[in-house]
Amino acid sequence: MYRTAAKRLVSGARYYYTGKVGLRFRPSQILIPSSRFSTSETQPLPIPVATETETPNSSDSSPSSSSSSTATKPRAKYEDQQTRVLQASLSYVLKLGWTEAALVAGARDVGLSPSIVGSLPRKEATLVEYFMDGCLQRLVDKIDSDESLKNLTPSDCISKLIRFRLEMQAPYISTWPQALSIQAQPVNVPTSFKQRAVLVDEIWHAAGDNASDIDWYAKRTVLGGIYSTTEIYMLTDSSPDFRDTWAFLDARVKDAFDIKKTIQEAQYLAEAVSTGLGNSFQGFVGKVFQR
Amino acid sequence: MALGTVTRRLGNKLFTVLSPTPRLLHSHATSFGFKQVNEDEKARMVGDVFTSVASSYDLMNDLMSVGLHRLWKDRLVSKLNPFPGMKHLDVAGGTGDVAFRILESIHKVKLRGLRGAFQDTLEAETQIYVCDINPKMLNVGKRRASEKGFGEDGSLVWVEGNAESLSFQNDSMDGYTIAFGIRNVTHIEKVLSEAHRVLKPGGRFLCLELSHVGIPVFKDLYDYYSFSVIPYMGELVASDRESYQYLVESIRRFPSQEKFASMIADAGFQKVEYENLVAGVVAIHSGLKI
Repeated sequence: MYRTAAKRLVSGARYYYTGKVGLRFRPSQILIPSSRFSTSETQPLPIPVATETETPNSSDSSPSSSSSSTATKPRAKYEDQQTRVLQASLSYVLKLGWTEAALVAGARDVGLSPSIVGSLPRKEATLVEYFMDGCLQRLVDKIDSDESLKNLTPSDCISKLIRFRLEMQAPYISTWPQALSIQAQPVNVPTSFKQRAVLVDEIWHAAGDNASDIDWYAKRTVLGGIYSTTEIYMLTDSSPDFRDTWAFLDARVKDAFDIKKTIQEAQYLAEAVSTGLGNSFQGFVGKVFQR
Repeated sequence: MALGTVTRRLGNKLFTVLSPTPRLLHSHATSFGFKQVNEDEKARMVGDVFTSVASSYDLMNDLMSVGLHRLWKDRLVSKLNPFPGMKHLDVAGGTGDVAFRILESIHKVKLRGLRGAFQDTLEAETQIYVCDINPKMLNVGKRRASEKGFGEDGSLVWVEGNAESLSFQNDSMDGYTIAFGIRNVTHIEKVLSEAHRVLKPGGRFLCLELSHVGIPVFKDLYDYYSFSVIPYMGELVASDRESYQYLVESIRRFPSQEKFASMIADAGFQKVEYENLVAGVVAIHSGLKI
């Protein structure tokens, strides 16, 4: 049973990679479950219900072929414009944070009315998710193009890829705590969790692990924990070029491949989760340094 | 009394059967409630209705919707997401309900201190145009604006005009709202294409309108309330049964949620969505101009 579920999840993840990296919106719930009609078509991902909580939009299928040909173009146009707004907004994140204000400034840059921000259901979360999806795409491109990865041991490969991924966040490190808090909001957790799960899966595949047995979930959890703890460690790292963070990362990956340290790793994960849920960050760092 | 009720319902059904279903999209005839009238007559008859109800418009709105229309308009404005420096057009908004909410929302945005992005636009003035075809409704709105303290603010601009041929330039508005008004126009398509014309790229169209209830049992209760209670209430409070009879009949003539959404898309809008409130008694449609 686990094998089947894992295979479905992996195939879903693969589908996610090959498909267009887009943003999905959740219908708003006011007074009653809302009935939504949209001309934009979002193809649902074949991911098990356990991780997929979004409801696919119903689409307007037109019987006329000429009408359907015109229907395709406007949808692409809208998504293109939205992508342009989000891309332009990223250049304001350092100044304005992951906020509606950055989105408004981005919309103005591309010559659109700031009203378009009102059409993004979750606004600043959309911006964070766009950034995360972009980083994932760059990571996938590097995995495909970097031949030297194949000569590395699994632990070195994993360390290198996580470092590569976290370096993408380095320019935004001063505002990343805000992005993390946005991702931790209840309405945004399903999407951010899925983004991280896909990221972890991709790293394991790059390390050469294509197994889909019961251990797959344990490996995913461990690597997710390593990524999260390193990400949080990075937030307060003031060493040159985050040297301490990379040392921390290498040590954690080495621990993960040492059976004796498995229990300790689970503790790190638990602490990372509790930190993400609002525990004192300084307390967490203190505990890490004591070990 | 029971016999009278049965007779009234039977009369309604017979009347419905006798009148053919109007083809709103292509026919030169149009509908005024359940009656078939010439195009020219509809504008005049609708004008008569709103001239008649202007003074007691808000009171009747509160009574008919048990105060819910305030929440519906709040929801409409929250979906609009107003911002300082906005150029906005509110059509059929004569009494100013939606415009006042937009201004209050913009003031809140300023207080929240989203100052970074709007620094340059704070110098650019917010302009909320309230457009209505009926001057009496506009006068009610102006008086209420003075009472609320919006009168001295230069942000509100009151314009008498027809939704089917607006007097604004192309690509000049950030937002366009029409609340409880598009049902009364003669050509819905013309209103939609005009809205698309005046909006800037990235501008949004939002429409709040009484719509169709789909849930079976609730639909029966709603029908009874519409055809028995509201006209009687209109007669009692505003001494005007005919106007409110027209109101409930025109709701039934309005296109369904899906059909109206496709009309909005046909006018050139993208990302067209709608949200039902109170099981479809009211629907908020939205579209984006690119």
